[in-house]
Amino acid sequence: MTTVIFGASAGVGRALSRALAAKGHRLFLLARDGRDLEAQARHLRTVYGTEVAWLAVDAAQPADVVQALETSLAGVSVRNLLFPVGMANDQDDGLLPAAALSALINANLVSVMAVTSCLLPRLLEGGGGNIVGFGSVAAIRGRGGANVAYAAAKRGLESYFESIRHRLAGTDVRVQFYRLGYVASQLTFGKQLPFPVVDPEWVAERIVKRLDRDTPTRHLPAFWAIVGALVKALPWRIYRRLRF
Amino acid sequence: MLVTMDGGTSMKATVQRPDRYGAFYRSLEGAAVAPRGAGLSFAAASFGHAVTSVELGAFDRILGLDHASQSVEVEAGVTLGALFQYLFAHGLYLPIQPGYTKITVGGCIGADVHGKNPARDGTFVSQVVSLVLFHPDHGTMELSATQERELFHATCGGFGLTGVILTARIRVSRLPSRRAELTIVPISTVIEGAAILRSASDEPGGVHAWHDFSRRGDGFGRGHVRILRFASDAAEDAPPPAMPPSRLSADRRGVLPMRLLNRWTLRAINEFYAFSHRSGRQPIDVLRALFPIHGSEAYFYLFGRAGFHETQVIVPHGQLQAYLELVRSMAERFQVLITLGATKFFDGRSELLRFDGEGISVAINIPRDRNAARFLAELDRFVIEAGARPSLIKDSRLSRQVFDATYPESDRFRSLLRAWDPKRRFRSELSDRLGL
Repeated sequence: MTTVIFGASAGVGRALSRALAAKGHRLFLLARDGRDLEAQARHLRTVYGTEVAWLAVDAAQPADVVQALETSLAGVSVRNLLFPVGMANDQDDGLLPAAALSALINANLVSVMAVTSCLLPRLLEGGGGNIVGFGSVAAIRGRGGANVAYAAAKRGLESYFESIRHRLAGTDVRVQFYRLGYVASQLTFGKQLPFPVVDPEWVAERIVKRLDRDTPTRHLPAFWAIVGALVKALPWRIYRRLRF
Repeated sequence: MLVTMDGGTSMKATVQRPDRYGAFYRSLEGAAVAPRGAGLSFAAASFGHAVTSVELGAFDRILGLDHASQSVEVEAGVTLGALFQYLFAHGLYLPIQPGYTKITVGGCIGADVHGKNPARDGTFVSQVVSLVLFHPDHGTMELSATQERELFHATCGGFGLTGVILTARIRVSRLPSRRAELTIVPISTVIEGAAILRSASDEPGGVHAWHDFSRRGDGFGRGHVRILRFASDAAEDAPPPAMPPSRLSADRRGVLPMRLLNRWTLRAINEFYAFSHRSGRQPIDVLRALFPIHGSEAYFYLFGRAGFHETQVIVPHGQLQAYLELVRSMAERFQVLITLGATKFFDGRSELLRFDGEGISVAINIPRDRNAARFLAELDRFVIEAGARPSLIKDSRLSRQVFDATYPESDRFRSLLRAWDPKRRFRSELSDRLGL
């Protein structure tokens, strides 16, 4: 049985691949750049002795992703689908042109939905498994300064996971969704952020521990649940004045 | 703000930390860049004025182990600690490596570091089978002692000035045993220790000497020789040693506002150290044996914000007594507190910027204060006159004058560098200071 990690080249995806390989999972890695995937696959095979295959895909092109995946995974049983995939855009202030908007929404939302649609039948036929989605605290409440389309896509993703969790209730397929706070990456590096940044390994460890459990939507780290509740509770007349 | 481990050089710097290859290649588009590993060097080889430092910590993967050739292929950002844990499980290890787990393989190659027994094993380049170098103007190239030999030797010990090392294939050795034993031989003088270092230079585990240079009079340089041997009982079932995390970094080292080392505290520390390392044999954890600094990081914090100087010099055998006498007399004259003294036997040949040669290397630490510079200037004069060779990566204040006088191939390295990289895309404070 194979575990598919979509967005495996860096950050949480890469940490997940190591944590799962350490537990003996057979892995199929997806990301944009084959150079990263090749290195990661060699590392996992060398250090953990696990079977690893990979496929370079552009998450902004969902139809191509699905087509390539169907070919590569023909006849392969899939047990776990993890989607630590994401794309952000520095210019995402509400005025992005259509092509850039389309790429953002596709990479963060449509590709995840398309891959899930493609592989879900295998999970059901194979006796169950896990589908794990990753949201962002950026989607707690819309804001105009940055990540306008990104947050919209992540909010949509959360709704999608809620729907498939409902659809799959009563089956052996568990659906989990994590709202991630600040996770160390090249995007957070050197930035002064108002809350602590956690390592991807810290996140991966907790997700792997909870795999196979029927877990409701969670914040990682958990304190973001309080931050999120406070931000949501702010009256509009105060919220509209905030610049962050 | 980046700072060297000794606290001697600090400057505002642009730092990039790519976590995938696409971002890595984009990070090298700047006019001047410097590859950066763990950032633990005493000299500023990984940052400089108007230089973008590119941290390679995300490129930390172990790519393959070839049992037939006994070599491991790694990305340059892998740490010695991670590699040790992996190799240990396969009954292997690196005979040549410095004493701290967080140092990266790329850093070891760039500084061509030495290990526990340089006379027997050579420096790090001796175990580099090949490496892949990237330079924005030349692309990716594989180098070895037989393929692009000159560039290979300019890169191993070239302080990151020829490009960025992406991957390396490193020769590994069979770990003779999973248990180690430390033999302590007390010595009254450095000269007595040097004789033992020489006679024990074929020990595969390693040999070096610790000296108490804070003593005056006849006790100056008293200490012990530490001979590391792997136990003869090949305990294959010994579990891998636990590796507690270490948070030592160059910026965190100076967290204490003031220095806690003075004549009295140092005396107490040295007496305790000498007492706990009395004559005889004692079992020692392999991790602790190979990485003696791991777990002893507190020492570096004791210097406080101002930091310290380290100088390590290979002194020709015939000049050792005179050098020690100079160290002793100048320490007294300038009231300098020598907090650490260590010696090793070297029996190699220096090439380009490589810290190697024939003699006894004498390493000392002193707190960074006003007198320290005058003390070190006196040692510099001796080093030039005696044909000794200072380590470039240990001493952040070494001048071009001393460098040119002690590294006969400095101009050859400059010529190689200018031929390879006329635009000088790779620079650092170290290269600016030494005129490279």
